[in-house]
Amino acid sequence: MKKILSLILASVMVLALLAGCGGGNNNKNSGGQDAGGNNSQNDAGAQNPDNQDGGSGKQYDGVELTMWSMWNSDEPQGQVIQEAIAAFEEQTGAKISVEWKGRSINEILSASLESGEKFDIFEDDYQRIANIYKDYTYDLTDMAAAVNYDSFSYPCFNNTVIGWAGFLNSIAEQPQVGGIFYDKDAFATAGVTAEPKTWSEFLDVCQKLKDAGIAPIAQDSAYADFAFYHQLVRHLGEDAITDLDANGGWADSEGAVAAAQEIIDLVNAGYFADGAPDEYPSSQNKIGFGQAAMIVCANYVTAEVNNATGTQVNWGLFNYPAVEGGAEPTAAYAGTNSLAVTKYSANPQAAFDFIMFLTTGEFDQKMADTAAQIPADTRNTAPSTLNGTIETLLSADSTMTWCNGFNARDDLKTSVKSTIVELYEGKFATGEDFCKALDALY
Amino acid sequence: MRKNKAMIFWFCLPAVLSLLIMFVYPVCRTVLMSFFRVESLTAGLGDWSFFGLGNYSKIFSSQSFRTAMSNMVVIWLVGGLITLALALLMSVVLTSGIRGKKFFRAAIYMPNIISAVALATMWIQYIFQYDYGLLNAIVTTLGMEKVKWLGSDMKFWTMTASFIFGSVGYYMLIYISGIEGIPQDLYEAATLDGASKVQQFFRLTLPLLKGVIKTSITFWSINATTFFLWSKMFSPIDTEESTIVPVIYLYDMVFGGKGVVNRDAGAGAAVGVVLTLLIIAVYVITNRLFKKTDLEY
Repeated sequence: MKKILSLILASVMVLALLAGCGGGNNNKNSGGQDAGGNNSQNDAGAQNPDNQDGGSGKQYDGVELTMWSMWNSDEPQGQVIQEAIAAFEEQTGAKISVEWKGRSINEILSASLESGEKFDIFEDDYQRIANIYKDYTYDLTDMAAAVNYDSFSYPCFNNTVIGWAGFLNSIAEQPQVGGIFYDKDAFATAGVTAEPKTWSEFLDVCQKLKDAGIAPIAQDSAYADFAFYHQLVRHLGEDAITDLDANGGWADSEGAVAAAQEIIDLVNAGYFADGAPDEYPSSQNKIGFGQAAMIVCANYVTAEVNNATGTQVNWGLFNYPAVEGGAEPTAAYAGTNSLAVTKYSANPQAAFDFIMFLTTGEFDQKMADTAAQIPADTRNTAPSTLNGTIETLLSADSTMTWCNGFNARDDLKTSVKSTIVELYEGKFATGEDFCKALDALY
Repeated sequence: MRKNKAMIFWFCLPAVLSLLIMFVYPVCRTVLMSFFRVESLTAGLGDWSFFGLGNYSKIFSSQSFRTAMSNMVVIWLVGGLITLALALLMSVVLTSGIRGKKFFRAAIYMPNIISAVALATMWIQYIFQYDYGLLNAIVTTLGMEKVKWLGSDMKFWTMTASFIFGSVGYYMLIYISGIEGIPQDLYEAATLDGASKVQQFFRLTLPLLKGVIKTSITFWSINATTFFLWSKMFSPIDTEESTIVPVIYLYDMVFGGKGVVNRDAGAGAAVGVVLTLLIIAVYVITNRLFKKTDLEY
């Protein structure tokens, strides 16, 4: 009797094990959950190639795609993606399953691509797509040429991607541009009528704002390196920064010393908001509260501040001012979240067509409006808070990276950043002292 | 009862296979990987190139790793002393028969049932906030100047203090269960012999809690070594020197940070091996220090 009972129990266990392991493909994308525990909204069901309805005669009947998104389904970006998927499915007959991976998508992409996991489209930062995942991405050059992609996209991104990866392996989805974002109303209150183009004009603006009782510059410590990087780039250019970061010798660089001295002068003049460099996002929120006027950041700061403070700041943007005798007077930060097609996708053309559907026309405009982002389609219109950003990106002949120059020595990166935070905290008397502190790290 | 060896084998097989695949294999692979130059965590063996002790040399010569180790040791030592001492003190107070014991026990343990993300956000955006934070409100009420609690000088300590706040309750419960396991008649006898409460604590409670203290030190060592989330919360955009710990360093090495595309899974594996050896060392030392802990009472 005991033997029979044991055998029955063992059989049940084995069956349960098999049931748990089985049905992989059919259940893979059904009712999946995103990183935040939200149910997938565009679950298109099984990955069964035989599951074709075949009757409607649409372009992609029977084609099934899987997309990995860097957003969550309840975020504005996620909602627009879901709407685009529904419309694309209706129009073409394709079925798209989306898995919401959230911002940590970069932690799993490498492993998933290397193991050939079945998905067709993924989202991530274009720099990572072009540098880390390029061997696993589809060459989109011909498909892009067929739709004349160059005529409605940003050359700065396309050229940069091709420069890094050797071919066009991603399509810009959510472009970003950096510079000095400011509250136009604060400028008006202080009597500032023109955006500053040079450092001396910038100092004049700061003084007028201060005189009007508005803190000129908000600065969170999280972005201190990004802000100082602008100052250094204006003096030295990115290549020289990379060289200094790799080998040291900061104190021997006149440009580095001058850049640091200019920041020290800003601190000493009282041009930073009270408490700056503050803990993110405390200082940037001061623009929303009308306590500060400007911040060096990328365009997402506008939506962040508006959402966090419940206000609608009258945002403007100008390029970081040029310094006298500087090596790089105009370069602005530009980056983008992009979409790529996996090299092993069974339906690369359908995947590309969906990417175009999402990043152009109606849904790109909807993405820009809903998530307060710069449109990826240059024929669309930027939200009012980002006026001028499309033109800025289109005219950018040279772009700046996100502090790439500080990445030459990855073992020193955090120490360099902390030293820069101390610069903004006013811990150095002169630019030379700051540069010597950097040299002491080597 | 006659043992059916085949049945035992088949029943154990799923568990043994799970252990081998999910634990032993990753451990072996990580140790092996730490001696190779490997860019991606999941790169095939064909993409590995032998690097000897190069990864270890790289991490130990890295300023960031040294800072990370130093931060971790301070969290372990200073944070550990404060956390375990506070937990012990509170457990003794709560088991001394005070009124409202259940309330205080629940209140002190509560941070453990709140998400650490929510807890860290409360500390950063409310308690330590420069303009309207609780601490600066107190400071300005006392007529003093506001303090930058999250400035580069203070951030490490504010982060450690927040972590301690969230940890005390857990260790307090462990100590309470240990103290409640000590027979009451020992205390009664000590009281009859004229021992004061303080003497009872040092002569009775503390020696009889040796085993529990050993366990709590091991748990704390694991917590301090795998310290990650609090560091991420106190430096949300990018890693900072004041909050970096070895696991953050490992994470940045393996996955790259903001705007960083260089990855070094081999060095990351070396960090993992070093941390594992550290935990083993602490465990062995603790066992040596608390040798005779199996007291029967």
